[in-house]
Formats: sequence, structure tokens, C-alpha cells
Amino acid sequence: MKIKFNIRRFNPDDSKLNEPYFQAYDVEVTEGMTVLEALLKINEEQDPTLAFRKSCRSAICGSCAMKVNGFSKLTCSLQVIPEYKKKGRMVIEPLANHKQVKDLVVDLNPFWKKIEKVTPYLTPMDKEHEERSVSEEDEKTIDQSQRCIMCGCCNSECNALEIDSKFIAPAALAKAWRFVGDVREGDKKKRLERLSEEHGMWDCVRCIHCTQYCPKDVAPLKQIEMLRSSAMKAGILDNPGAKHVEAMADSVRRVGRLDEAAMTFKTLGFLRSIGMIPFGLKMELHGKMPLPILFPKIEKIEEVKKIYEEAAKQGTEQEKKKEE
Amino acid sequence: MRAAIEAARAGLNVAVVTKIYPVRSHSVAAQGGINAALKETDSWEAHMFDTIKGSDYLGDQDAIEALCKEAPSDIMELERMGAIFSRDAHGHIAQRPFGGAGYPRTCYLADRTGHSLLHVMFEQLMKHGIYVYDEWHVVKLVAEDNISKGVIAIELSTGKLHRLHSKATIIATGGYGRVYKTTTNALSSTGDGMALALNAGVDLMDMEFVQFHPTVLPRTGILMTEGARGEGGFLLNSKGERFMEKYAPKVKELASRDVVSRAEQTEIEEGRGVNGCVLLDLRHLGAKKINERLSQIKDLAINFSGVNPIEEPVPVKPGAHYSMGGIATDNDGGTKVTGLFAAGEAACVSVHGANRLGGNSLLETIVFGRRAGLKAAQFCKDAKLYPFPDRFLKDASQEVAVIYERENGESIFKIRNEMNDAMEAHCGIFRDRDRLTKGYDKIKELKERFKKVSLTDKNDNYNNELLHIFEVGQMLDISEAILVGAINRQESRGSHYRRDFPKRDDENWLKHTLIYKDGEEFKIRYRDVRVTKFKPEERKY
Amino acid sequence: MADKLRYAYYPGCASQEITKEANVTTRLVARKLGIELHDMPKASCCGAGLLTDYDYQLYIAINARIFAEAEQMGMDIMTICSTCLMVMRTANYNLKTSPELLAKTNEILATVGLHYRGTVEVKQLLWVLAGEYGLNNLKKKVVKPLDWMKIAPFYGCHSLRPSNALGFDDPEMPQSLDKVIEALGAQPVDYSGKTKCCGFQVDLVAVETAEVMTATRLLDGKKHGANCFVTPCPFCHINLDNYQNLAEKQVEKKIEMPVFHLSQLVGLALGLTPQDIGLSRHLVSPSRILR
Repeated sequence: MKIKFNIRRFNPDDSKLNEPYFQAYDVEVTEGMTVLEALLKINEEQDPTLAFRKSCRSAICGSCAMKVNGFSKLTCSLQVIPEYKKKGRMVIEPLANHKQVKDLVVDLNPFWKKIEKVTPYLTPMDKEHEERSVSEEDEKTIDQSQRCIMCGCCNSECNALEIDSKFIAPAALAKAWRFVGDVREGDKKKRLERLSEEHGMWDCVRCIHCTQYCPKDVAPLKQIEMLRSSAMKAGILDNPGAKHVEAMADSVRRVGRLDEAAMTFKTLGFLRSIGMIPFGLKMELHGKMPLPILFPKIEKIEEVKKIYEEAAKQGTEQEKKKEE
Repeated sequence: MRAAIEAARAGLNVAVVTKIYPVRSHSVAAQGGINAALKETDSWEAHMFDTIKGSDYLGDQDAIEALCKEAPSDIMELERMGAIFSRDAHGHIAQRPFGGAGYPRTCYLADRTGHSLLHVMFEQLMKHGIYVYDEWHVVKLVAEDNISKGVIAIELSTGKLHRLHSKATIIATGGYGRVYKTTTNALSSTGDGMALALNAGVDLMDMEFVQFHPTVLPRTGILMTEGARGEGGFLLNSKGERFMEKYAPKVKELASRDVVSRAEQTEIEEGRGVNGCVLLDLRHLGAKKINERLSQIKDLAINFSGVNPIEEPVPVKPGAHYSMGGIATDNDGGTKVTGLFAAGEAACVSVHGANRLGGNSLLETIVFGRRAGLKAAQFCKDAKLYPFPDRFLKDASQEVAVIYERENGESIFKIRNEMNDAMEAHCGIFRDRDRLTKGYDKIKELKERFKKVSLTDKNDNYNNELLHIFEVGQMLDISEAILVGAINRQESRGSHYRRDFPKRDDENWLKHTLIYKDGEEFKIRYRDVRVTKFKPEERKY
Repeated sequence: MADKLRYAYYPGCASQEITKEANVTTRLVARKLGIELHDMPKASCCGAGLLTDYDYQLYIAINARIFAEAEQMGMDIMTICSTCLMVMRTANYNLKTSPELLAKTNEILATVGLHYRGTVEVKQLLWVLAGEYGLNNLKKKVVKPLDWMKIAPFYGCHSLRPSNALGFDDPEMPQSLDKVIEALGAQPVDYSGKTKCCGFQVDLVAVETAEVMTATRLLDGKKHGANCFVTPCPFCHINLDNYQNLAEKQVEKKIEMPVFHLSQLVGLALGLTPQDIGLSRHLVSPSRILR
């Protein structure tokens, strides 16, 4: 069947047309054909000037990630016909959150720079030259994070990166967990401290785009959560992110609920909370300012307290077992 | 990258030049694993024997000895670098059986071994602060008086030509699978380095030996790992028979790749295929094993063939997979040109001879990458830096300008497609003089037509069409080398099967083919195989 | 509808305090629609995603305790918060797909005399309206069609992703909120920010990011012709409404976009008054677009 492809093109070298624009191509598509195959077909039969990256065409090299109908996909593993039937259109654009340098090619330098920032190599705990035995379970904790093919889909979809270009972003964070979670790694705490800095892991807005659009099921958000809880367990608490979570956990333990006022106070500290007073007054006028004193406890709060204790106990037992 | 790391460790100033980002290299797609005799009940000698037998005795035994002896310590080093391997119940690196091996000695990470190792190499590259010229394509190796002086590369993002001046150059550009129509190889596997070396005066060795992988998805050519058979998968014909019982009664599906591919092709040609394929049946392995050990395979089969291997057998056929041949090197990656080295699939040491065993290619890249890097580092300590001859850059600019100026020529894609078809039809699994000659004539014709191709895209930045012209030009040279080697080798050995000479002929042909260029003409000479420990004998599985 | 719809009602922490109006309105709307809501007096906070960062097993166990209560009541859970929805459904999904996790969690629950079998489903008001209750039934109840309103549906993150645990709407082209808007007689506005993040999770951690994000979403909807927003999530509401003036200051642009809770919009169409649905509690007054 013939399908119209609308492709967002751009060539900064073209003096007449140096703004991005859409160009349409009619492509004869056969059953099973992937978006990448269709792009190659456009290259060969209609327009060799269309630029895009590609290599393995089997979803493992990470070259051909683009936005298809608004969402980041590996074009080599996405079939045209089902996608077209579902969306009723075929719009191809370069990855978002990166500069378009020509047609579907984006500048990936910021992407690699972010990866470099997390010290992306193992710093072994012990230096002698022999195999370190690793249990199947330990291998499994980092297995998901190490599936990453660095295609950039997650960073392209990341809502925090969209706003804050300095944000370390999910790809590098998944990579970071691949080392923090590795039993052979020696510098876990140092890594976690660095990740707790500004624009680091606590700036993730939990929009879950990264996990939703990762073509290799790396689930970056899950790796971020593991980084965060590891940092907290390692006692790296002197930052707004960790304080916020601690305040939350404390509030649930005490009253079974989320106590916004106490959390604001604990996360931002006394001075910054005072700074919020004018705004707080406006909220108060509308009855919006939560008052901690009035917060009723839930029924059977003692059950919650007990669960906290038991979960902590289970955690320590597991740690012990690991050390053995 | 392994070579770069070793050279950097030795204190050298190293840069990597690559037409795609380092993690995109096709090693990333290696699924099954990497061989090493790690266990006490295994030995490097056994690994060596299996490799030699697999090579159909064409491998050089001293090189194979180095490969197998050094494998265990290289694996341990990878482990220390941070490579992740699947583990056994005791926490040691797990090993699985592989085709042509008498012992389960293939280390792996599920079905993503190449991905795991390639990313570790990239990590080490960053650790050592090695500079990477991302998306630069080398258009010329600069060698004068048999001395390497560097390369000329085109920066794809701008179209600018640059000279990269160096004491030593190591070629690690992988294979040329894209010469064929059905191939497991990446779109970027165009054998660039081999053709560049040939044109710089270096010999290509054993080019007629092309490995066809037995389990490849039809149409797309996407690979289903040998690990699928290693884990117990069956191959069935249209009658539901496990036909490998007939061809290799002892090891069946785990015979070496050339044997399995020929068996499949025979079944298909004799009418026992299913739409030009045979069936890879994994159903009896169960969902759990498939999900854990072969999850990528499952995804690939579903995404690219619409078949879920848990529920249905997967149609597969043989496809071009690996180049046993390549740039002739010594055991340290050295070539005929001083200061020019090669390693990995681009090189031919030769450890794979006439047929490579699964799990030995990643190993080769690691062992011989390390060796080449070390040797290059030693070489550079004493070598002097020769001036870079200006005329090369001028010539290269001139050649590119000519392509840009040419109008109304033929499309490069058309030439490439005809080359793919010709190589598939005339230089595939079963060969004979007639077919090969037809293929040769066709490639010669295409080479003439290639001289008149022109560009539609006249832009400088990210001009993929121009890049493809370079690639196809290189592949035409490679095709010719393969055909010349294949026409001249009048025997059947390993992956090279001549219907008109169906027997192996050790008396006349236990020797390597060396191809070199004399002007535009391809010339041939031969070199003896180095036999040390194991005398050639009949090969049976 | 053959049977009367009954749910264990889980308003979530936000709607018991800051966004009380959503809780109050939901109860009124449910009464009008004939949906029974049963309180869960023991239910604690779900952890709002933050507990996951604190301790994974604790997060699962705290949620399993909530599910156990609903299981005892013999009902599915309905929440009016997308974050609660995502957090609870993810916990429930993990419990249901991992017998190991379920067993480990029940060990913890056993210490307080509880057990979770894994039979509860978690939904939110939006899903109930667009799903079990049905859009046609909803349409029949409308007494005051909102035909002058051009509404930007703000799905946000946690009613859509991760789709394996949520699964009601397609995260790439969600329909439910648009359809409910249509059923109420109003016109939904299409804009690309509708499935994106409001910034709530980093309000206190990366303030600037949160505020710019909030402004970006609102301006996106405004550009596409919306005269108001609607969201199924109180956290989105806090950012889009309560913090709108901060967002305006951050990007130095006037936005002035009224934002409704889903329940309020339904309430208006069912004939509830602005007083009933607590519109005076909003920081950006919706009065000028009301008729």
C-alpha cells in the first residue's frame, strides 16, 4: 500500500531554506516493512539527500532513533503498517531535546558528555587480577541497566531535560546504576554523592517517559529509584531531594499521610520556608495552606509503624546474606 | 577499540577514527559469546584443536595457539574491566556449548555478549581519555615507499577532508557482509579497511572464504544466534524432520556453520524447505529459558518476522555473516607496510582458516586487538614520524571534486543492488567455475559503470550518498578479490564449496590465497599454511 | 448498568487537605451519578512515588496494606489522584506478576495480621467515567452542557505511564479525558503538552524546572485556543493552579488560565453550583469563564 511520509527536514547549509520544514514522500510499503526500511527506500528511489543515521538495522546499535508520530522510537524495529493504521499518519522528526543538525540527524555531543559525567567505567573494589565471583542475583540487579544501547530515546522524551538542559538525564543515570549496582564496584559512595548534586538524579520529575519509550526495556526510572534509595541508605541526605523523601517517609510513619507543610519545611529548611510566606498567605486566603496541627492520623497507624520496622528488618537481613 | 586501549596504556597518544559512533560498531550485534578454556576439565589445546578442525586445517596453527592460550587471561581481564557475563550457580562465568566445539566453553551474557563487550570497550576508551573522531570516514591510507604515514578522512558532518598524521595506523573496520544481499551484517559493514589496505599495497588473504550463518531471518537477514541451537534448538525441514541427523549424526545442529548452512541449502534446493527457509524450533525449550537466555532472539523474531518462538518455529535461512579473509597480517597485526596494522574481522591472521567457529570472532578482536595495540606501541617508541606527503590530500580532494562535478551519471544504489544480486547468485554457498566467472564478469562491468556514477545530493554536510559511493567502490574491489580467490581455488574447503571440485585437496591447496593489486589488475600468489601440532585429517561432525 | 457501581474510595492525601474541593465535589458527583463510594478509614498514603526512593519493599508493603483493606471490603479501589493511581497500580502490578514479591510482602503484612490475595483493581475517577460508568450514561445525566468551553485536557504523566501497569489509555494517543469533555458538551483542545509532566515531583527540589515546566504546559494549551484546563490529578492541579502565579513570574508572561479538577467539570455539567464545587478555593479564578 502507498503511505505518505511527512518528514521534518532541515539543512543549515541551504541558503534559501535554512528553516526546518516538512516534506512529503509517497512510499509503497509492503507487509512487515520497518520505518527505517522505508527511509532507505526514499533514499534509494526518491531522494538521496535525505539524511539520517542507521547501521545494524536490528535494534542493537542505537543509531536510528527518531520521533515517529510524536514519540521517540527505534525506526528499525517499528513496522510501518501497524503504526500507520493506529495513528492514521506517518510523521518522522528528529529526536527532541537535541539540536537538529540536518534532517533527521541531531547533535549527540551533549548526550555523550552526560554519559562521560557519570564516570562510565568500573573502578574495581580490589585490584588483584582474578575473577570476582558474582551471584546470579547480583548480576540480575544490573542486567536491566546494562541493556542500554545509547540510542537517546529516553533523553529525547525526558521532560526534565526539555526544561533544564543541564539535567544529567535518564541515559546517564541508567549507566550510573550499572556501576553503583555492580558488586565489583569500589567507589559506590563517591558516585552517589556526585549524583546527588544539582542537576543530578534528584531533578528527575518522574514523568516516566524514559521507561515508557526505552526500546530495550532498560526502565531508566527504575534505575534512578535504585540510585536514590542506595544514596539514602548510604547516608547521603544533605540535599533537597533526599530531604524531601525523608520528610515524606517520616510523615507517613507518623500520621499515615503526606503532611505538605512539614515536608516543605524539612525539604527547604527554615529560611527558605519563611521565604515562601507571602505565597503561603495567598494560599491561606483560599484555604489552601495545610496546617500540620490539624492533620488527623489514620486508623490503625500502629500497623504502618510495624510495617516500617519489618521492611527495614527484611532489608538488613538481605544485606547480611549478601555479605556472607 | 581494544587495540587503542592497549596502545594508550603503553603511553601512546591515540585517536580512534570511525564513520559511526563507537558503540554502533557491528560487534555490538554479536549475540552468542566468546570462547575460552576456563575450566580445569577443558584445555587450550582442545580449544586449539576445535578451532583448527573448524578452519578445515587452513588456519595457521601458531596463531591459533596464541588465540587459545591467551583467551582465558583475556577473559579475566575483560571481567576486571567490568564486563558482565552470565554466571553459573557458583558465581563463576557461565559457559555454553557452541557449534564445532567439543566442550561448552563459550562465555556469554544472555544473547547480548557482543553488546556487553563493545560497551565495556567504549567505557575503557573513555577511561583512558582516547580521542574519538566520531563520524569521520577514512578515504585513503597514506603509504609511501611501504611506510604508513597516516590517513585522509572525510568529516561527515561538514564534508571536509582532513589529514591524520601518525606513526602507526591500525585498521579495525570489520567485515564486508554488505557485499551480499542477504547478510546479518550492519548497513555499515562495507569492508572499508580491507579495500583501503589493498589499494595501499597490502595483501588480502583468503578472501574466497565467506561464512554463511545458518540461522538468519529471511528478507531482513537478521541474525538468530547460534546460542539458540547451543541452548538446544532444533532445525526442521518441511516434513518436520531434524535433518541435521543426516548430515552430522553425532552433533547434529551443533556442527560447524559451513556444514549446517550447506545442509540447509541442500534441503531447500531439494524441495524440503518452507518458502525458501528451514525452521528453527525452540518451542521445547519453554518460555522461561527463552525469556531468560534468548530474549533478544524472541524480540527480533517477533519484530522482524512476526513469529513468537515460544509458540511457533522461526523460518530461517543461511546468510552472509563473516569474512574469514581479510588484510594479511602476522601474529601481531603487522602488515607488509611498515607502521600499518590490522586486527579483528578486517584482518586475516589467520585463525579462522576456511571456516570460523562461533565464539571465536569476539575472541579474535580481543586477543589480536590487544596484540596489535601493543605491537604498534612498541613500534612507535622507536619509529620516526615521517612527513605527510602533501599530494595525497590534493589527490583525494580532486577525486571528491570529480564526483561532485559529474552530472547525469548512474545511481550508486543501482550499482550496489546489482552487485548484491550478482554476489548472492554467483558467489554463494554452492559455487562452480561457471557461476563464479559470470559473477566476475558482472563485477568487472559494474566497476566500469561505477566510474560514471554521479551525485544527486550536492551538499557537503552529512552527504550519505557520497559516503555510499566510497563504500560501494570499496565493496566492488572486495567482490573482485573474493571472486578471484574463489575461481582459482579448485577444491572445497570449509565455507568455500565448489560443486566442480567437491573434495578437499591438501596436496595442492593447503595454502593461503594472497591477492594484491598491480595497477588496476588483481594478482594472486599463495603462501603455505603453518602447521605445528595437528596434522590435517578428514573433518567429520 | 446492571449492578450499582461500588468502590473503596481513596481520595489520596492531597485531596484531603490542599485540594479538598476535589474530594468534596467527587462525593457530590458520585451521589448524582449513583456511584457508591465507601471510605477507607485505615488507608495510609501510597507513598506518592517518593517512598519508592526510600525503600522499595516498604513501598510495596504499605500499598499492599491498602489493597488488603479494599480486599476485605470486597471492592475495587477508586482514587481521584493520578499519582496514587500510578503508584498503587505499579505496586499491584508487581505484586500480581511476581509471586515471590507477593509472598515476601505477605510475610510483612502477617506481622500486623493482614494478608493480600491479589484480587483488587485500582482505578481512577476518569477511568470509571469513561469505562464502567460509560460515556453515554454520563451524557444522559448532563443538565447543563458546557458548550461554550474550550478545554485543554491535561492527562499528565501518572494516568498514562508506565502503560504496562496502567493500561487504560494509549499513552501516545489518550482518549478518555477528551471523550469525557465531549460527553459534557464541551470542546477538547488538542496540544502536544497534554501527555507531559506538570513538574510537581520537583516543586521543592528543582524549583525553577518545575515552574518553567508548569508555564510551558499552560502556554501550550493557551496557544491552541483553550480557555481552561482540566486535570484528573490534584498534584497537576496544585502546579497548574496554585503555582501558576509563580510560573508566570518565572517566565515573565501572563497566563491567567483557570484549571478545573475533573470532578468539578462533571459537577458543573450535572448542575452543581460554583459554591458546591469549591471554585473559590482556586487561586486563578474561573469565574470569568463561567456562565
